[in-house]
Amino acid sequence: MSSERTLTVARAGREAVMWEMQNDPSVFMLGEDVFAFGGVFGTADGLGEMFGPDRILDTPISETGFIGLATGAAMAGMRPIVELAFVDFIGVCYNAIVNLAAKHYYLSNGQVKVPMVLMLGSGGGYNNGAQHSQSLLASLAHMPGSVVVTPSNAYDAKGLMHSAIRSDDFVIYSGQKKVAGVGMLGTPIKTSMSVVPDEPYTIPFGVANIVQEGTDLTMVGVSWTVHQCIEAAERLQSEHNISVEIIDPRTVVPLDRDAIFDSVKKTGKLLVADEDYQSFGFTGEVIASVVERDPSVLSCAPVRVANPDLNIPYSRPMELRVLPTADRIVEESKKMLGL
Amino acid sequence: MKPTAAQRKAMYSDIVRSREFDDRVLELYFADKMPVFDLAKGVIPGEIHSSHGQEPCAAGTMPHLTLEDTITSNHRPHHHAICRGLDLNKLAAELMGKKTGYCAGKGGHMHIYSVEHKFSCSGIIAEGMGPAAGVALANKMREQDGIAVSYMGEAAANQGAFHEVMNMAGVYTLPYICIIEDNNWGVSVSKKASTAIERNSERAASYGVYGEYVEDNDCDLIFEAMSRCVDRARSGQGASILEIQTYRLKGHMHGDQMAYVPEEEVAAMKDCVIEYRNKLISEGVLTEKEAEEIVSQQKSEVDAAIQFGLDSPYPDPEDAFQNTYAGVSK
Amino acid sequence: MVEVVIPNDMWEEDLEGVIVTWIYKTGATVSEGDVLCEVMVEKSQSDLLAPATGILTIIEDAEAVVKRGQVIGRIE
Repeated sequence: MSSERTLTVARAGREAVMWEMQNDPSVFMLGEDVFAFGGVFGTADGLGEMFGPDRILDTPISETGFIGLATGAAMAGMRPIVELAFVDFIGVCYNAIVNLAAKHYYLSNGQVKVPMVLMLGSGGGYNNGAQHSQSLLASLAHMPGSVVVTPSNAYDAKGLMHSAIRSDDFVIYSGQKKVAGVGMLGTPIKTSMSVVPDEPYTIPFGVANIVQEGTDLTMVGVSWTVHQCIEAAERLQSEHNISVEIIDPRTVVPLDRDAIFDSVKKTGKLLVADEDYQSFGFTGEVIASVVERDPSVLSCAPVRVANPDLNIPYSRPMELRVLPTADRIVEESKKMLGL
Repeated sequence: MKPTAAQRKAMYSDIVRSREFDDRVLELYFADKMPVFDLAKGVIPGEIHSSHGQEPCAAGTMPHLTLEDTITSNHRPHHHAICRGLDLNKLAAELMGKKTGYCAGKGGHMHIYSVEHKFSCSGIIAEGMGPAAGVALANKMREQDGIAVSYMGEAAANQGAFHEVMNMAGVYTLPYICIIEDNNWGVSVSKKASTAIERNSERAASYGVYGEYVEDNDCDLIFEAMSRCVDRARSGQGASILEIQTYRLKGHMHGDQMAYVPEEEVAAMKDCVIEYRNKLISEGVLTEKEAEEIVSQQKSEVDAAIQFGLDSPYPDPEDAFQNTYAGVSK
Repeated sequence: MVEVVIPNDMWEEDLEGVIVTWIYKTGATVSEGDVLCEVMVEKSQSDLLAPATGILTIIEDAEAVVKRGQVIGRIE
């Protein structure tokens, strides 16, 4: 019996997919470059060899078509996993996502289920230009009818993948590329790797993880920004003796608003960090969720650290300037705390 | 219309120039990303899709286009940009994210814009078609002469946009040419595995437009076929689909080992830089000496461009906040 | 004792690779066939499997540059 293993997010997610495919013949995967290539970000590595071309389907470059197909297969009782390499590509298939997959269950009054998982590679920070570096979390979370899962570490990645595949709901599984731990983006982020059990397990949707407890400030991150918050919190602790509480929602829809509220009630200060464009998104939603419940829990104005409302520039100094990095989080936190 | 000797020499010069550029970029790309490979590191970061092998598709088609004509390119734009005559210095600088680049570092490798050359690219597959057809429409409405051309790969014909745009090109009789570079691979998926028919040029029948397939990655044959499509567009006869058999000598992007391409296919791939040179020399259009001179000339221009890029400054981080809107201030 | 070695056929050409991450720590019990670590060459990533069952000792850490044939650990 082997000892405990520390895995990357990509490997942990794949493990869940493999187990589910081995144990449930209704599960199959489809997408571009999944069979021989293993997916553009390693999400399907080894699956083609294991399961063959009839269960790991390479599709043509026809996103709106194959997401429609997957929706139909799900409606017929199968459990497809669609691999859409870059979230930016939802531009060519948004109708299939928002008007088909996310709506059939409601419009049929619960008669027709769409037990489908849509995997997306999100985020930037590695100079791939405006059309390949977006997060677009707001565009996914905004429309009713889909669960939106955003694991920040390997343990959550595996549990949430098992839950996603077994769920009878349409689940969007958003994997940030730098959090995935694939070698081509440099050394994996240490805090993204976790000890992962061999056996399958599930993590319920709508339950946040309190990454660390604290008393002076609540930071809410999502996926990559959870790690930026962790780094920022370490610096605030060691340089200024500030105790930070970090909340990782793990699922953006459903969002664990209670956990966030309870934390802000304790600390009185809220900072939200998100790689998506600032306006009309996650950061605003988290703040609104607290304020509309009881604004008096806040001892100062909440702060958002997000990509500004502009397209993502290619050149390194410009891209680094717009990303919600630990540096920016530290700077904003110090302002909030009067340091 | 066949190319003249001068045009053939120019096409050879273009494919050499494009290849030299791509070779230098490849060298630079890997030079400073090792050993812990990180896409974000180095002088040329991100993902680069080189044009090794596909140069004739641009060199053979561009001679028919004037500065009145509009071009949209895709995620594999270097040969299009170079054969169109874009400034090598500004191209190199843009790939390096420098302030002196075509887009001052905003766009990068997949988003090269040159207004002077009516040239732009988009990284989303097949999405260059709509804008090109749109320029064709605008030109028609304003009774202006220019035609429009979009370049894409064979797998892009399976995008919804292909169907919609080609149909409208037919309905509106647009002076638009859809050029398809058939290198047989959409990243790791072969044409046979992704496309229900053998030739996308045959889909022209579905749209009431002209379709032609060039069976060889040869500048001269491509030149001739393009002349037919351009003549039709300029004389009000409408749109065409021109599909060209070509070879993607490297992976989809730098770092792709092409493990999925069968060995026999790799062995059979032809290299246009060698093939066309041999052809021109054997037909007496070029001497060995002239060919060497062309190579040496292009090498030195590319070297100068790369150096220009390396010597150029990066933009100020605050430049990120400029030019989000034309008329709105925040 | 069995050495954990970068296989000679793990990649082509005489390039250097790098250990991206170890899945097990020194002192861990591993079984033959377990994925021990991830190795990257240029942009390709491969899994290195345990050649035997036993206790692992890591000799080359994550981020170490490695060549084909290099010993990176042992299993006892």
